[in-house]
Amino acid sequence: MISRSMKIFLFFIMSFVLIAGFSFPIVKSPIKWFDFPFIEGLEDKARIILFHVPTAWLAVISFFTSMFYGVKYLRKQDIINDIKSESALKLGMIFCILATITGSIWAKFSWGSFWHWDPRETSIFILLLIYGALFALRSAIDNNEKRARLSAVYSILAFLTVPFFVFIMPRIMTGLHPGSSDDTTAGPIINFHMNSNMLIVFFISLIAFTIYAYWLWKLDIKTTLVKNFLNNKKRGN
Amino acid sequence: MTDFYNFLSENSIYIVLLIVLSIWIGIFIFTNNIDKKLKSFDKMLEEDSTNE
Repeated sequence: MISRSMKIFLFFIMSFVLIAGFSFPIVKSPIKWFDFPFIEGLEDKARIILFHVPTAWLAVISFFTSMFYGVKYLRKQDIINDIKSESALKLGMIFCILATITGSIWAKFSWGSFWHWDPRETSIFILLLIYGALFALRSAIDNNEKRARLSAVYSILAFLTVPFFVFIMPRIMTGLHPGSSDDTTAGPIINFHMNSNMLIVFFISLIAFTIYAYWLWKLDIKTTLVKNFLNNKKRGN
Repeated sequence: MTDFYNFLSENSIYIVLLIVLSIWIGIFIFTNNIDKKLKSFDKMLEEDSTNE
């Protein structure tokens, strides 16, 4: 779990991100410290960046964490590593689904329909399938050690595809999503036409979501440990 | 208070903001409660193991 000061910090920065995301005005020539710039192609919907991008970012971080603890399990067969890997996997899947849904809603109002098979949309869909298969794999095996070993190997292979699907494929192909190879208006996510005010709020949003996801991950690990403890006690009695 | 209500009804985005902030406060309190319950369970386990 996280410390009290971290909880208070999280509460205030997330509240700030929500207030800034909803109320800071979008103007053609930002002057005041709280002005957001008018980005061609995004206009008022630019505020969604503060919420949609962190979900995708957290999906990648969670899948990396799942792979990291998978590797740790393969090195030293300590079941806690598999529990941590599974918790990260669950969170990663939730954030991946959220990124797909929020992106789809954004797509409806920017490009006309919920789904276009745009490279970015296709790549997130493939990631959902790859990691969905990992859940199927885990539920098909009864033996804990075998499940942990196979899941660790699969999570390593699955994460090898993530950099390509998230960072490379949507940027080298032509498409509608900002950052695609034929994009002239919005540009790639790092060189976005966000001014420094919006970038600061964006990075604060990333930090807030990351801290909250870390907290959820820790809680899920603890919950799994409690469940295992109670199951063992029941079997012992 | 009437001025505040008039302001809100003219600028509806702030009503949405208040709702979203309430949702965030609710989510935060809920997560914190789970955190507290798990901490007390941990303490209970520690006391159990020291008593044994």
